[in-house]
Amino acid sequence: MPESTSTRRITIDPITRLEGHGKIDIFLDDEGQVERAWFQVPELRGFEKFAQGRPAEDMPQITSRICGVCPTAHHMAATRALDNLYKVTPPPAGRKIRELVYSTFMTEDHALHFYFLGGPDFVVGPTAPPAERNVLGVIAKVGIDVGKKVISMRRRLRELTSLAAGKAGHPVFGLPGGVAKRLTAADQVRFQTVAADAVEFAQFTLEVFENVVLKNSDYVNLILADFFTHRTHYMGLVDDHNQVNFYDGSLRVVSPEGAETVKFAPEKYLDYIAEHVEPWSYMKFCYLKSPGWKGFTDGVESGVYSVAPMARLNVADRMATPLAQQAYEKYIATLGKPVHHTLANHWARVIELLYAAERMKELADDPEIIDPNVRTIPTAVPTEGVGVVEAPRGTLIHHYQTDERGLITKANLIVATQNNAARIAMSVEKAAKGVLSGKQVTEGLLNMVEMAFRAYDPCLGCATHSLPGSMPLEVRVRNRNGETLSILRRS
Amino acid sequence: MSARVRVLGLGNEILADDALGILAARELAKLFSPDQVEVVESSESGLHLLDHVTNVRRLVVIDTVQTGHAAPGTIFEVREQDVRAAPGTAAHGTGLFDALALARKLGFDVAQEVTILAVEAADCLTLGGPMHPAVAAALPQVMEQAKALIAAP
Repeated sequence: MPESTSTRRITIDPITRLEGHGKIDIFLDDEGQVERAWFQVPELRGFEKFAQGRPAEDMPQITSRICGVCPTAHHMAATRALDNLYKVTPPPAGRKIRELVYSTFMTEDHALHFYFLGGPDFVVGPTAPPAERNVLGVIAKVGIDVGKKVISMRRRLRELTSLAAGKAGHPVFGLPGGVAKRLTAADQVRFQTVAADAVEFAQFTLEVFENVVLKNSDYVNLILADFFTHRTHYMGLVDDHNQVNFYDGSLRVVSPEGAETVKFAPEKYLDYIAEHVEPWSYMKFCYLKSPGWKGFTDGVESGVYSVAPMARLNVADRMATPLAQQAYEKYIATLGKPVHHTLANHWARVIELLYAAERMKELADDPEIIDPNVRTIPTAVPTEGVGVVEAPRGTLIHHYQTDERGLITKANLIVATQNNAARIAMSVEKAAKGVLSGKQVTEGLLNMVEMAFRAYDPCLGCATHSLPGSMPLEVRVRNRNGETLSILRRS
Repeated sequence: MSARVRVLGLGNEILADDALGILAARELAKLFSPDQVEVVESSESGLHLLDHVTNVRRLVVIDTVQTGHAAPGTIFEVREQDVRAAPGTAAHGTGLFDALALARKLGFDVAQEVTILAVEAADCLTLGGPMHPAVAAALPQVMEQAKALIAAP
């Protein structure tokens, strides 16, 4: 419980919906106002060294083990980097099977995220007691039948991923130039059946969102709150028609005003993106080379940008599928464009869920999906390859350089959270200033700070499966001298 | 049909100490036939563990943990019911406990006995990193405790 300000230190335990451990430090000035807030997440180390000397063909298998949350995203980005490395284009069926599996994965991940990771904040409610802000609280709110529906959908989607990709938790189907296995007519029927149900399920989820969140003016006001708002640039993959695409396309950047500032082929990413380093953090903060790093600030003149569902919807002109397009139009009509409200990521995610399911159905219904020609054998001598996909949490870049035998000499990864790091830091600080300033520190207020962080669903080094009692996220309030002031335990 | 005993090795074989759960599972798989003990390894986290906690009577989970309050290699043997941290009451680790609580709430056939063998790790963030000697040295003892849990009446 809070004691006197001079002896308090605040520790928040149950950020268990994020995979891993994060740390937020809130510094107060002499008047007790928030001066600065920082966040850090532990990241994996040593990828470059680990990759060196390994055959590039091993990367889809190896990198899929980097993250316990989205192995399929890493597998796919690595596979696409191999296409680029060997200058090989998959035949239509190979390409379509990849995108079908990827759409299946995105449907599953977005659904789980909405209900069980974001749900505690939005479905249960931002000011609900901490004891209720978890998966059981979500079930209590939406009902056991809905819970069963979500879990059943997840299981069926994963069965399909396993069918086509080898193993949902560790896919092995991506090869340079295509995929390892064709789909049979019987496989296609299974995909068609589940995809049709997935579209229905996504529509149902959109209704849940509208009923629970949009019809609650408190939640809508929270989405619109200034302290959850930043006018940054946005980046994401779009297809030839500037529609959202998770698997392929060009990276498009729009300004805080919504104008396209640049659109480039993924392999040119180093021409446009650089990394800023801060002395207080081992994290790297990506920014746009033009306009350049101007500090943790938003606006047209700042190179800070963000990725993830809201950013993808901002950079696109429209959605590629009809139901998602309808939902998108309502979203834009309500929030304007571009949308700058961090918490709108939850709404954008549900729209993307619908798109992923519809895209899955389109591909499952495509007669070409069962064409037995699923791979083009690479013949070029490898030198360098870049692969980019949109992971559930944003743009994911894999970049390999090899010798002429295809052994890795240099490797670089940019994961979604690095793209978002500067904006996350700004969000945490702004939320802290917005909700903590001049007020008694309460769990509900601190939860607002955490919500700003959680809306990005940062990818943490998710290596350790923490036992209860350990601290996945720690929020500390300190004074100017760095001395810890407050602790608030929930036990 | 529910299996009698399942060993679930959690971790990541390319992440230094986090390999322990996977290595232990592989060693145990050599000692038992699949109809005696079902051995599963997983590098996934979060609710993906749902797949592994159902349709079994007894579940033995082997994993690493970083409490920060114990020497690397320290083995914690924790039964699910000893952990006063089910969702709805207090803090709980990502994944396993959420998965268990959710599966029970939804009325699935969840393992009745769940024991976690968690080994304090020194480093779970260095790709390709070596295991801490004390963590590697804990493996035989982890195996013994796992075998005892498997054999318990």
